[in-house]
Amino acid sequence: MRRFVSIAKATALEVIGEPLSLLLLSAALCLAVFAPAFHYHQFGEPTRMARDAGLSALLLCGTLFAFAGAVRSVRRELESGTAAVALAHPVSRGQFLLAKAAGVYCAFALFALAVGAVTATIVNGARIGAAVAQKTGDIPRLWGPSYAFGVAAVVAPYVFGAVLNRAFRVRFALSAFLTALGVAVASVLYRPDGETLLRLLPAELLLWIPPAVFAMAAAAASVRLKANAAGAAGGLLAALFLPFAGNYSLSEALSRGGSIPWGYVLLAALAALPALLLAAAAGIRLFRERDL
Amino acid sequence: MSEPVVRLERVSKTFRDFWLRPTVKAVDALDLDVRRGEVFGLLGPNGSGKSTTIKMVLGLLAPSSGRVSLFGRSPRSKAARAKLGYLPELSYLHPFLTARETLMYYAGLCGLPGSVARERTRQLLEMVKLSDVAGRAVGGFSKGMARRVALASALVGKPELLVLDEPTSGLDPVSTKEVKTLVKALAKKGMTVLTTSHLLADAEDICDRVMILNRGRTAAEGRVSELGESLEAFFLAKVGSGDDFALADFLA
Repeated sequence: MRRFVSIAKATALEVIGEPLSLLLLSAALCLAVFAPAFHYHQFGEPTRMARDAGLSALLLCGTLFAFAGAVRSVRRELESGTAAVALAHPVSRGQFLLAKAAGVYCAFALFALAVGAVTATIVNGARIGAAVAQKTGDIPRLWGPSYAFGVAAVVAPYVFGAVLNRAFRVRFALSAFLTALGVAVASVLYRPDGETLLRLLPAELLLWIPPAVFAMAAAAASVRLKANAAGAAGGLLAALFLPFAGNYSLSEALSRGGSIPWGYVLLAALAALPALLLAAAAGIRLFRERDL
Repeated sequence: MSEPVVRLERVSKTFRDFWLRPTVKAVDALDLDVRRGEVFGLLGPNGSGKSTTIKMVLGLLAPSSGRVSLFGRSPRSKAARAKLGYLPELSYLHPFLTARETLMYYAGLCGLPGSVARERTRQLLEMVKLSDVAGRAVGGFSKGMARRVALASALVGKPELLVLDEPTSGLDPVSTKEVKTLVKALAKKGMTVLTTSHLLADAEDICDRVMILNRGRTAAEGRVSELGESLEAFFLAKVGSGDDFALADFLA
């Protein structure tokens, strides 16, 4: 287990520290904050629009994050020779590959946490906006200052990360993600209309499932394919898969006080399990036969 | 006599292309025994099959034919690799990890508990004189510093067999001497060392026994003390004079 944890931890640190990860995170956060603003009146449903934007950002950018993280991390290990050194230790190839995928998924979990924090913040802004509109009799729309909250939720982790890194040499990524965690908890527990946002959690977790399959499949493909080929394969898969994974049904399920039962999340995870196991088995088989 | 630590029996390795057509035979019917407690040098010019042989010993490459055993087991066996430390030709390190994290990472791969890993990391950082920069990412280290981190990483599991692929590659004369002194000290403590080199002076200084490879085949094998002449003269006699370039014709 120690071996598995060592590899997974190093992989998570590597993926989090990658410029591409920061770029995808920034893109997802901007999408979550500003996408509702593109529709001026938010069709009279600002809360739903804000929630939909956040969930879409998580699914699109999160899947890309997991896929690109796995491809780049596994290929770099193989091409730089660090995989050969690790495998000269008492570590099996299967253990190595699974730990790499697990490390990428841990990094994705932190990414999802940050996106979730900002989504909760902007949804809270929309709820305040709806409450204000109800009093004034206007069409409900995203409350102006909520954009400021959203931007603050995006900027705060970067600023705290930089300050703690500068002053105490704490890893930038670590302190930034801890700040995001604080923002997430505060936002989820905030009760502007007497209700917390805890019912968003099952929906968010539902979107954690595709990146798990993608991370494993990408790690498996990368033991044989070069980064470009694996990236092209991933792009093709994403083009086929993502149109069917829209969040419209999800958003519909959450509207008007609805929620997603935890049992449904569990069933969805079980449904994805065969694909995950198949990808893992294929990857281990391919890796065993590979000369390093 | 005890079981050799490393044994290769009629081992060959042929690399193949995508269509499985043979491209190059890197090692050809090689027999090799490395005995417990000795420093064994695998010498040869570039492309002679030294690194391929080392990778087969480590289980990273599968031989095309023949049998490789490590501590009497398959090199893919975890039990065999638990007794192994490996320093590759280039210091392959994760650039984003600090020197301390790198050693902790390899200690983790050896399965060491946290407290033991921390203590050994501290000792090794002191040994390779990197305690002062233990918190710096190794990506910013000089080649010599990175080499020392890699060497410490190879020793973190207290291996019984240390496999060194060109251990002094890229090191300045002082660091080279330090590495050679370290290898001699480890050998004195009973560690078995399998090293490759094309720097004959290094091999002459540290090896008890050497094998000279040329084009994947054994050109000569014996104890350094029994060669009867300098290792360089012996090597050149077996491998070639080094005067083969027709530079005069080209420059004329």
